[in-house]
Amino acid sequence: MNHAEALVSVRNVSKRFGATQALEDVSVDFEAGRVHGLVGENGAGKSTLCGVVLGAHAPDAGAVWMDGSTLRLDSPAAGADRGLVGVAQELSLLPAMSVVDNIVLGTEEHWGPFVKDRANRRRVAALVAEHGLEVSLDARVGSQSVADQQKVEILRALGRRSRLVVLDEPTARLASHEAVELRGTVRRLAERGVAVVYVSHFLDEVLSVADTVTVMRDGRIVRTGPARLESHASLVEGMTGRQIGEVFPPKPPAPADDAPVVLRVEGLGSAGAGFSDVSLQIRAGEILGLAGLVGAGRSEVAHAVYGAHATAAGSVEVCGHRLSGRVEDALAKGVALIPESRRDQGLMARRPVRDNTTLPHLGRFAGRLGMRTGEEQEAASRACDEVGVRAQSVLAPVAALSGGNQQKVLFARAVLGEPRLLIADEPTRGVDVGSKRAIYEALNRMARSGCAVLLVSSELEEVIGTCHRALVMRRGRLVAEHAGSEMTEERLLADAFGPGNGAGGGRGDPALAEGESP
Amino acid sequence: MMAQALPAVRRYGIAFVTVALFIFLAATTNGFLSQANFRNILDQQSALLIAASFATITMIAGGFDISAASVFVVSPLFALQVENATGDAALALVVGVAVGLVVGVANGLVVTALKVNSFIATLATSFMVFGAGFLISDRSVLRASTDAYPAIARTRWWGITTGAWIAAAVVAVAWVLLSRTRFGRHVYAAGGNAEAARLAGVPVARVKTITFALAGAAAGLAGVVSSSRSLSALPSDDFSFVFGVIAAVVVGGTSIAGGEGAVWRTVAGAFFIALMVNGFNLHQVDPIWQRVIQGAVILAAVSIDSWTQRRPT
Repeated sequence: MNHAEALVSVRNVSKRFGATQALEDVSVDFEAGRVHGLVGENGAGKSTLCGVVLGAHAPDAGAVWMDGSTLRLDSPAAGADRGLVGVAQELSLLPAMSVVDNIVLGTEEHWGPFVKDRANRRRVAALVAEHGLEVSLDARVGSQSVADQQKVEILRALGRRSRLVVLDEPTARLASHEAVELRGTVRRLAERGVAVVYVSHFLDEVLSVADTVTVMRDGRIVRTGPARLESHASLVEGMTGRQIGEVFPPKPPAPADDAPVVLRVEGLGSAGAGFSDVSLQIRAGEILGLAGLVGAGRSEVAHAVYGAHATAAGSVEVCGHRLSGRVEDALAKGVALIPESRRDQGLMARRPVRDNTTLPHLGRFAGRLGMRTGEEQEAASRACDEVGVRAQSVLAPVAALSGGNQQKVLFARAVLGEPRLLIADEPTRGVDVGSKRAIYEALNRMARSGCAVLLVSSELEEVIGTCHRALVMRRGRLVAEHAGSEMTEERLLADAFGPGNGAGGGRGDPALAEGESP
Repeated sequence: MMAQALPAVRRYGIAFVTVALFIFLAATTNGFLSQANFRNILDQQSALLIAASFATITMIAGGFDISAASVFVVSPLFALQVENATGDAALALVVGVAVGLVVGVANGLVVTALKVNSFIATLATSFMVFGAGFLISDRSVLRASTDAYPAIARTRWWGITTGAWIAAAVVAVAWVLLSRTRFGRHVYAAGGNAEAARLAGVPVARVKTITFALAGAAAGLAGVVSSSRSLSALPSDDFSFVFGVIAAVVVGGTSIAGGEGAVWRTVAGAFFIALMVNGFNLHQVDPIWQRVIQGAVILAAVSIDSWTQRRPT
């Protein structure tokens, strides 16, 4: 094994933002040709550390070394000039322009004011061939899959002779098979001698792609070591200082066999492609998990039950009342949805917590002379307290809250409706481990109070740790059901992949199997 | 101290600035502090305030309606034709508002059902409405034939014209509608994040359509009030009215991106611009220079707004 030289060395760096010590005495080496995983809860200091390396933040103390001298960067642009590039979670591409134009943007070959299209195309083609990243050069970026767009972003970084690339949550928006493809891209990037810093909440992904892993907690480095010596459990323990079992609170008691059926779905099929022939029941007090690969149709089923996705067949009944397939009707009959993306589907970021909490329930506070705002505010505060939202005031804009607290606002919104059925679509995505536990507790509380809960989750561990029963979806159909101790990661995975791909074991790779299945 | 004062300054900035301008003019300008001058300002702003308060609501819901100018020009032409034919000023008023309502509903349906960008949709309907104005008036000036029509806006109650009273009433209705009702909340939600609003049970398309309809009706009323003040109406294809409306809304601090703003802001924005113009006139500034300065002030107001929004608290 060759001993890689440290390309960038962070030495005793501290950084403070106001009252928050974001980094404290952090030292770490990023080596050329290696993928360096960076894990930690939200607020552990990962982004700040990356920011210091890329030139977005100047350290208060300590220094960053590169090529034998300290690096003084006053902006990310200065960092880019030295070959330090960040690929952000949100892509920064121009969707209406071609792949070539995006890659060369800002560094176009030109003759006077004229762009030399053919020269640029040749340059990009050479770049693509050199790195083995297949993209269609002349396609509009907007027409490409997210995985391909990410490749374009990476090619753009490579085209600028990057020496260190920071990937911040690169798979957060990818389907499973795309995530696997990206993994190959990242490995190839490292093989070209680039130092890759890989930041992700998906620990299994980090374990499978990284050579070295650094665990951070509270602005400090817990440890840095070879990825092969770490496991999912050891990383969680390092990030939280807790055993993995403690992430999940004890489940509420399973519902009795004669508990009333709250949700009855019969033969539900979506309009167009999506899912078909979905039948399921949930009893009062039961938490039902809906597992499967990303893209299997789980969110679509959740939205269809709520009336937000068009159906072509079947019926949905809540407490014996048939739903009409409109959101208003579902709300009126006691259904609440916590959507997958709180930013795109959940919250009005600049509106107060109060307005965001009460939005679906305004009818309750409507008086003859307009809204009874005092009553509304009180109800919103109570709901927020109940689920543990930490905010200065319910009149503060939601954007001022942390991600975990924003997610809790969506729970407060649901709680306020006193729902009979709660649908939670990936409720812990992008939330740190501490807030996760609070969210599981909120789910449990709902179930104990007699609410039926449908939990859509891509994390098998979460399904097993919180649900009484789990259904597995594959390619738009329900394919299996497991309850109690029959719910194991192996079985859920095997069902999610489909026949012929077997149970992959603890390090099984769902997306890979998906890619291979016929 | 400064740190605590800042959010309030940011939040109520336009109100502070308008009050400061008022005090400045009162201290420096002869003839400013007189009842006649104030009445005059109120009168001149009445039509703009009527249209702008509902334009604010449209903009908060995420729409951008420039058809207000065409409705403002054309609704009094319809109203005066009715008045000339029947002699019934009340009916004329109703027709004027109805013309605006019809255009507004059409705008709303084109924007929500056909999913046309609202700026383009209302630009297109503007041309159609301007054209209808030339057709209905036979390209000539229409004059009020009764005393009742001018009385709509010119009657004085407690020294203030009914035009100004109507404006005050419309502002109050828009204000309450936006800040105190369910509909108002739905407006903020639809403009702030349409998909999230839909998933929370807000009928986004209906809400947006209603905002266009109300803005159209308000522009129609503004046209009638204005023609009642001037005793006549003239067909044209003059867009300038809507630029005044948008300037008042935007200087007030309502976001063009939607989801944020308030009716009181628009009132403050309108009076800020009106006081500035009044000050120029009293100081006998050349009207051509007035335009240049007015444009610069609007630019400054919007830049300051965008700058303060960017900085975290």
